[in-house]
Amino acid sequence: MTEIEKKFKELKKKKEKALILYFTAGFPSFNSSIDIIKKSVEKGADIIEIGIPFSDPIADGPIIQYTSTKALENGINTDKCFQMAEILKNEINVPYLFMTYFNPVYKYGIEKFANRCVECGASGLIIPDLPFEESENLRKIVKERNMNLIYFLTPYTTEKRVKKIIKKANGFIYFISIAGVTGPRENLNSEVIDKLKKIKEITEIPVALGFGISTKEQINKVREYIEGIIIGSFFLQKIIDGKIEEVEKLIKEFKENLKY
Amino acid sequence: MLPNKKGKFGIFGGKFAPETLIEPLEELENSYKKISKTKEFRKKLNYLLNEYAGRPTPLYYAENFSKYVGFKVYLKREDLAFTGAHKINNTLGQVLLAKMMEKKRIIAETGAGQHGVATATSCALLNMECVIYMGEIDVERQKLNVYRMKLLGAKIISVSSGSKTLKDAINEAMRDWITNFKTTHYVIGSVVGPHPYPMIVRNFQSIIGKETKKQIMKKEKKLPDYLIACVGGGSNSIGLFYPFYKNKEVKFIGVEGGGLGINTDKHSATLSKGEKGILHGSFSYILQDNYGQIKETHSISAGLDYPGVGPEHAFYKETKRAEYFAVDDKTALKGFHILSELEGIIPALESSHAIGWLIENKERFKKDDIVVVCLSGRGDKDVMEVAKIEGEI
Repeated sequence: MTEIEKKFKELKKKKEKALILYFTAGFPSFNSSIDIIKKSVEKGADIIEIGIPFSDPIADGPIIQYTSTKALENGINTDKCFQMAEILKNEINVPYLFMTYFNPVYKYGIEKFANRCVECGASGLIIPDLPFEESENLRKIVKERNMNLIYFLTPYTTEKRVKKIIKKANGFIYFISIAGVTGPRENLNSEVIDKLKKIKEITEIPVALGFGISTKEQINKVREYIEGIIIGSFFLQKIIDGKIEEVEKLIKEFKENLKY
Repeated sequence: MLPNKKGKFGIFGGKFAPETLIEPLEELENSYKKISKTKEFRKKLNYLLNEYAGRPTPLYYAENFSKYVGFKVYLKREDLAFTGAHKINNTLGQVLLAKMMEKKRIIAETGAGQHGVATATSCALLNMECVIYMGEIDVERQKLNVYRMKLLGAKIISVSSGSKTLKDAINEAMRDWITNFKTTHYVIGSVVGPHPYPMIVRNFQSIIGKETKKQIMKKEKKLPDYLIACVGGGSNSIGLFYPFYKNKEVKFIGVEGGGLGINTDKHSATLSKGEKGILHGSFSYILQDNYGQIKETHSISAGLDYPGVGPEHAFYKETKRAEYFAVDDKTALKGFHILSELEGIIPALESSHAIGWLIENKERFKKDDIVVVCLSGRGDKDVMEVAKIEGEI
């Protein structure tokens, strides 16, 4: 069982849902992103996604494009992200994954990358531009190292495809709440809940909802249909604006809303 | 027939796209397969290409230039296609397809503005809403084309993220498409992007090679020995090459933008100097750093200034079906001048790379060789830039 799977099991027992937070490694700087991650775990984050920045993040909106560009300008690179994770390994007691695009992984060498993940104590990988059809090799490599390769589903994924992906899904399913890129939105589409219900009917694997999550109202609306929520851009914008304290406060509040 | 079901040309290509794009890409592939075969679509597209875009374009025997290099050179005159480049072949096809798919809105990216202008033109004609994404730096560099697009009724969105050039315009256009795919079709301007784009754009551009084949058979009673074209994303070159793919005796040569020299870091010679990787949805050659971050590129010609290249070219390179070379800005300028002086044809700076390479490498050819060069666009758009570089204004 991977650390992520253990985490979801533990939360289920406590009747809690997971609060999964994404941070761009190296934004606003190497040290401050370590501090921010540490604090967010203190305030209640259950799982952390460490974003290895990519120059051309097509699945992301303007906020993560901005934080990625800045982090790269500040000199972050894949090796430094691993260094960061090695530091965090001893400082936080929750599982974490790396999120990045396929090219940095491919260029690093897929096995070498996976081995470094293990050394740094990572529990999984999220690669938004690696579609299911191209993922078999990486899934195998990741599985052999007791990590998860997280798959995505969207409200528009056909039923046939949902079934195909769910068969191989592991860790949790990253359910994209909207047609669109990452970034905060006010509303949640009703199609989302219908689709989530259908997914629940056919799988036990935890489902985490991401893309566009920014309010407690959204969380309350979907809470019963999911096992976790993922927040990235919403907090990164607050970090860009220098409102770190507000981030800490909101993490605490959001986590409260994820308990029964 | 390539690509295969997964959209692969050998190991290249594919669909490296976010899950949100998988359904729209499938929808596009299925609609394309269905609609492009119908009589209605073919009849309409042929009509537009012939009556509106001015096809077929001539295959012109460049006698003066031939004497200069010492063998027979034909120019495929895509510069005479409407809007001044081959881009219109693809945009008419895709916008017509989108209309028949009942989409209401068209988006496109553009670097120099040629694909943007061709898309805006096709949208004006076919009465579709048109939004063009363009890097902030390119908007500034290509003011005339920005104004042309506005005249044609398009809305221009200036992209200020990343390196503020073509690749970032593609990123933004993809994000728009991810968000609005139900109403919107994304007209990619080259043989790049996730499957089925490289195939669709190639098929619409292959009219260049099909016409060339007929024309050369009529004039020479045999196939050419060489086909030469410039390669940025690679649409005019694939358009010329593809119909000759099975004619193994016809050699293909692609010429990339060597910028300030391929041993500097200021070039866009993706096939000559790049490595395998993933950009904008497909596995191909790309220009990247040691950590897989995409590099910024340079070329005197905005149309070649792109850190990726179509996967089918990567496949041609790997299987040695085509050879790829790069020439620097200076050599391209030489081609630009010599063709203007000898033939009275001012070539686009992109096409000038193919001409420049031919001049520099004329010793490789035999006296009775027949060479076809794709003159992908006219040079009017570049005249100001060249005059500036050479201190004329």
